[in-house]
Amino acid sequence: MKCEENIGLLEEYLDGELSAEDQNEVSAHLITCASCGDEFAALTAEQEMFARYDREIEVSPAVWNRIAEQIAPVEETISYGWWMKIAAMVILTIGLGSVYFLSREKEAITTIPRPPEQEFARFIIPTPEKKTPIKRLRKPIVKDNPGVLSSDLAYLDIDDQETVNHLEKTQNLLRSIRNFPVSEGDEEVDVTYDKALSQRLLNENVVLRREAEMKAKFPTKTLLADLEPLLIDIANLPDHARPEDVRVIKERVEKTEIVAALTEYRDRGTHNR
Amino acid sequence: MKRLTVEELNLEGQPGAFAGTLMNSSADLVTRVCQGDSDAFRLIFERYSRPVISFIFDMVNDRPLAEELTQETFVRAYRAMRTMRADTKLSTWLFGIARNVARESLRARVRASSHVDLADKSVMDLSDNKPVPVEGLLNKELNELIRRSLAPLDEDTRLVFTLKVLHQCSYEEIAAITGFSIAKLKTDLHRARAEMRRRISPYAGVGYEV
Repeated sequence: MKCEENIGLLEEYLDGELSAEDQNEVSAHLITCASCGDEFAALTAEQEMFARYDREIEVSPAVWNRIAEQIAPVEETISYGWWMKIAAMVILTIGLGSVYFLSREKEAITTIPRPPEQEFARFIIPTPEKKTPIKRLRKPIVKDNPGVLSSDLAYLDIDDQETVNHLEKTQNLLRSIRNFPVSEGDEEVDVTYDKALSQRLLNENVVLRREAEMKAKFPTKTLLADLEPLLIDIANLPDHARPEDVRVIKERVEKTEIVAALTEYRDRGTHNR
Repeated sequence: MKRLTVEELNLEGQPGAFAGTLMNSSADLVTRVCQGDSDAFRLIFERYSRPVISFIFDMVNDRPLAEELTQETFVRAYRAMRTMRADTKLSTWLFGIARNVARESLRARVRASSHVDLADKSVMDLSDNKPVPVEGLLNKELNELIRRSLAPLDEDTRLVFTLKVLHQCSYEEIAAITGFSIAKLKTDLHRARAEMRRRISPYAGVGYEV
């Protein structure tokens, strides 16, 4: 094996990715060639240096707590999804049944033998039949506090994963704020994590809102725009906030049931994809 | 601090690798999670969270964000676990999700234009430092040097370098995680090594120059 060829294989040799045959050839060459041996020693030293790399990063217990919070509602969502499917099937069955009966009725009318004088009926302008108005089943619209979160339930244009993920993260932040323990005796509350997260979500929110606007996804844009005041307020809290400031935000989240609403939006987004 | 690598993830199935290995192999845990056992998912988290957060940190170079994205990775993994193919290795699958989560975040950051100067800043900071022989570098300094040298690499080369050199994944695993061909990942890896060498060699002293 020539040195040039050997050098080209050294990295793969170090990575243990060569075939047995190539590996033997490289090994044999390294024994006899001092120059290639030095190259390999340098590569090994480099590898050892990277092996010493310590990111000094730990997984804080809070990460699991937040995951546990997030995966718990999935079960609710799944069961909710099933109920929705059952409800949809019932409505569909009723709808199809109605169509079937109406068509049968119409068929029955058209097959009744006409009396002879009505043979000329086609030349007579028919008197319009009195139609019974069809009652439509409408889902009641839940009204939120206006000005905080739009209550329009027709958010059918959330079709990208990024927005769905963003809504999910925002929902988790708001849930975390809603469940934040603030007691009377507290002098200050450490909201460092939530504040930093809110700042990031705010940036993301602005980008996604602009994108939604550009793509004429106005319901999504409105929803995202509605979230911004809350995200700004959380992001503007000092690291160690006054309990009353946190309580005000908690109350806004609770009052407007944003967390529940976002679950619905997120699910709609997920189902629409 | 103990350094966790993917090699440790490969202990699955080896006798005595973990207490209660028989019922707690990764495959068993996945089955249990699919049957609704949330304790099993907790075990998966405990086993894989450190390699996953390390990998994400290598990609995004931001500690709080790495924590947030680790959380996102495990939530997505939990929700998608039923779709995981039986022949897929759990660690590879988790790294694949982590890679997607990190990539989405990096793209959002670029669009928000808030962190695009990350690479330049790192280079500038490094060039401000005076060369120190590798023996003279404290662990902390070496960590900082590697971290800063890694940050300016482009996404693909950083990804491949991180998985191979820092997490000791095989080429096959890297291809499964990234979707890259073996030829591409070999090229990216070679470029990444050369680039890292170029950035680190002025500070790494005797015995390092290649």
